Amino acid sequence: MNLATLTLVVGIVLAGIILYLVRRDHLHGPYALGWLLLAAGIIVIAVWPRLIDEVGRLVGIYYPPILICLGAIAALLIKSLISDLERSRQERSLRRLSQKVAILERELQLARQQLGQPLIRSESEAD
Amino acid sequence: MPARCLIVIPAYNEASTIAGVIAGVRKVIDAPVLVVCDACEDDTTAIAAASGAQVLDLPVRLGAWGAIQAGLRFGYRHGFEQVLTLDADGQHPAEALPDLRAGLDHADVTIGTYPDRLSAARRIAWWYFRALTGLNVVDVTSGMRGYGRRALALLVRSEASLLDYQDVGVLMLLSGQGMTIAEIPVTMRPRQAGHSRVFNSWFQVARYMIHTTVLCVARIRRRLPLENTP
Repeated sequence: MNLATLTLVVGIVLAGIILYLVRRDHLHGPYALGWLLLAAGIIVIAVWPRLIDEVGRLVGIYYPPILICLGAIAALLIKSLISDLERSRQERSLRRLSQKVAILERELQLARQQLGQPLIRSESEAD
Repeated sequence: MPARCLIVIPAYNEASTIAGVIAGVRKVIDAPVLVVCDACEDDTTAIAAASGAQVLDLPVRLGAWGAIQAGLRFGYRHGFEQVLTLDADGQHPAEALPDLRAGLDHADVTIGTYPDRLSAARRIAWWYFRALTGLNVVDVTSGMRGYGRRALALLVRSEASLLDYQDVGVLMLLSGQGMTIAEIPVTMRPRQAGHSRVFNSWFQVARYMIHTTVLCVARIRRRLPLENTP
């Protein structure tokens, strides 16, 4: 098996895994898009290996394979920054939701007190 | 009619001190007390409720500021115009609460400051943050604060939810929106139990300094867009 075939197999298997994960509900749809683009890129390079050399010549890089490394590092950096942005957004939502839950729970107890209904037993373990 | 005032006490596992703190508060000021339990693992919630305080029970641990903001949001929803905050570990003297409250007649925010408690390290840290932010405040980390109506409406917003401590970040947010800040000297006691959440170990101090420096530099003169409903 030569390198091009191996690359092709890697690309196809990656795409398959991603689709499987989305199907099994392990991967949220929007996240899958980036991974599928990556798989598509791998497949393109497998089918057309000269692409790297040509792009390398175009941008004036002496040793074209380094282009892939550079591209991979840049993609990882961007991906990691986007993940952190997403995590910050989720952290904010989590904090506000937790505060809201505590507030609403308190208000619910107050309302039940006023109606003369028994208080709701707390079930912190079940949260 | 005087402004409606709520006392907010953030607490994380403070079962040994919370009852005393609540009793101290009730002795000096006639205002409802709200204890915000930051996902406590001990009996703080039950003790606070038995001591006559209202209790908010956070389902997830949010840290000191997250707990305080929950209290501010509760106060805002229920029409309170002033919120006073103090720590649950007993280091803040409740006797100073009426002064903090009175200060809100002339300022949007009041800070209970205790300049004498300064260790050399803390003195340097505060000087550094003053220089960095241009805040004209001596004690930037004091958790004993009073917030008036305008400050309350600002701090319940989601833009204030990603802060971690009730310190420089909160003050910068306030002063950036033109709020006036007044400091009121108080005498603090040593903590009865527990440790500072901020100044615990050198590693944490370093983390805190870097974290806050980044926040300061990024947030200088940040103005928020206007918003009516938080």
